[in-house]
Amino acid sequence: MADERATNGKTTNGKDLDPMAAFRDMRDTYLDAWSKTMVDAVNTEAYAKASGQMLDTYLSASAPFREIMEKTMLQALQQLSMPSRADVISLAERLTNVEMKLDDIDAKLDKLTELRKQPASATRVRKPAAVAPANKRRGKR
Amino acid sequence: MAEAAVVADQFALLAERLSAFGKTVTAKVPIAQTPKRLVWTLNKAKLYRYVPVLPKEKRHPVPLLLVFALMNRPYILDLRPGHSFVEFMVNQGYDLYLLDWGSPGPEDKNLKFDDYTLEYIPRAIRKMKAISGVEEFSMLGWCIGAILATVYSALRPDDGLRNLILLTAPLDFSNKQDITFSKWVDERFFDVDKVLAAVGNMPAEMIDYGARALKPVDNYVLNYLKLWDNLDNPHVVEAWKAMNTWVTDNVPLAGGVFRQLIVELYRNDRLMRGEWMIRGERVDLGRIRANLLTVIAEGDHITPPCQSEAILSKVSSKDKELFRTPGGHIGIMAGSGAHKITWPHLDHWLGRRSG
Repeated sequence: MADERATNGKTTNGKDLDPMAAFRDMRDTYLDAWSKTMVDAVNTEAYAKASGQMLDTYLSASAPFREIMEKTMLQALQQLSMPSRADVISLAERLTNVEMKLDDIDAKLDKLTELRKQPASATRVRKPAAVAPANKRRGKR
Repeated sequence: MAEAAVVADQFALLAERLSAFGKTVTAKVPIAQTPKRLVWTLNKAKLYRYVPVLPKEKRHPVPLLLVFALMNRPYILDLRPGHSFVEFMVNQGYDLYLLDWGSPGPEDKNLKFDDYTLEYIPRAIRKMKAISGVEEFSMLGWCIGAILATVYSALRPDDGLRNLILLTAPLDFSNKQDITFSKWVDERFFDVDKVLAAVGNMPAEMIDYGARALKPVDNYVLNYLKLWDNLDNPHVVEAWKAMNTWVTDNVPLAGGVFRQLIVELYRNDRLMRGEWMIRGERVDLGRIRANLLTVIAEGDHITPPCQSEAILSKVSSKDKELFRTPGGHIGIMAGSGAHKITWPHLDHWLGRRSG
């Protein structure tokens, strides 16, 4: 690096001299090493155990508060004659079922449209074979 | 005095850069701009058809359906003009459809792979066939979308699927050593039922944390440092803004799917062992007969290459190929080199099979 430097703030290849370049190189080398170390660190059973324990502790600690909040909210909504979260969820599920029925109908309509587009010869229903009158059939016996 | 003036200049410069940095990291830029039309919806799912730019006689007759992961927005496939896989494929003459799963609400917490593969995908495909007026189609699944595409292909091999493309597909969970997620969700450390009882659907923030924590220094430090070092480079800044817009726009994962992902796949590897039951049907990978292209990102830390290799020996497809490309989980499709390596290869492979 040093031999590339020249006077007038320019390197020998004509680019501006960057006094921070060395610092950045050092920084990148350090971060690269840190990155590799951390990738290895998170891929250990110890990390998995610690992060799992943290999550479990959080869920256990927050469970009573969540329960109180849910009960309080439910009571408040009931008193205000407002639908609860469960009511809205139930309604949304029913809407999805209706959408599926509509989609079934749409599929049948698409099929009908397709049949109508086909030339008449392709869609013509074959006539059933002529059936001899009952008395003639009897007569053949 | 002169030294003080120089230092003051440096502070002014620093303030200017900090301001630009702050604006960039909080910027939301326009994305997904390739013209498209909504053609089908069900619950939160939407099927879009991209507006063709070539006349019909110059287009490939077999349409292509894009199926992305459930917990990210699919517009990574159409990030910004000039850097969009969707735009590239439309320009190559593909009749392109995109299945956008949307964001599941509390009412969707019981949705499972069963629903996505046997209700949503078949219905979307039926609509796509009706619109394009064809019986055969191609499907591209990426990440969890590749699991969905694989399961659908195995369960409904006679639905007209001609070509199947799997990108960074997490299908094989047997190598516990190389799959970091497998360690994290080990049943000794992670109580999936307790988590889902508390949250219903897996929150986007938790999924995002999980993905970033695989490479914490890269995602929490180096990513921002790269921006800081390149604040004067508008190309880098624009690309960074678009990617950051996508990265910070995650969606929750339906609780039922998350539970299956952990229990059936990460812990018990049921798909590759041929033991996975979807609505009472066993998912037999040997029933897949479609032409198959599996793309592996060699630097993928989310889906390590070992997860995508074994599928080739399990399927019955006569025409199959494994394509390895440098890059990470997202980079192979949305990185700066995607348009030079991955996209042309996908076009080359698919174009010859879409006539």
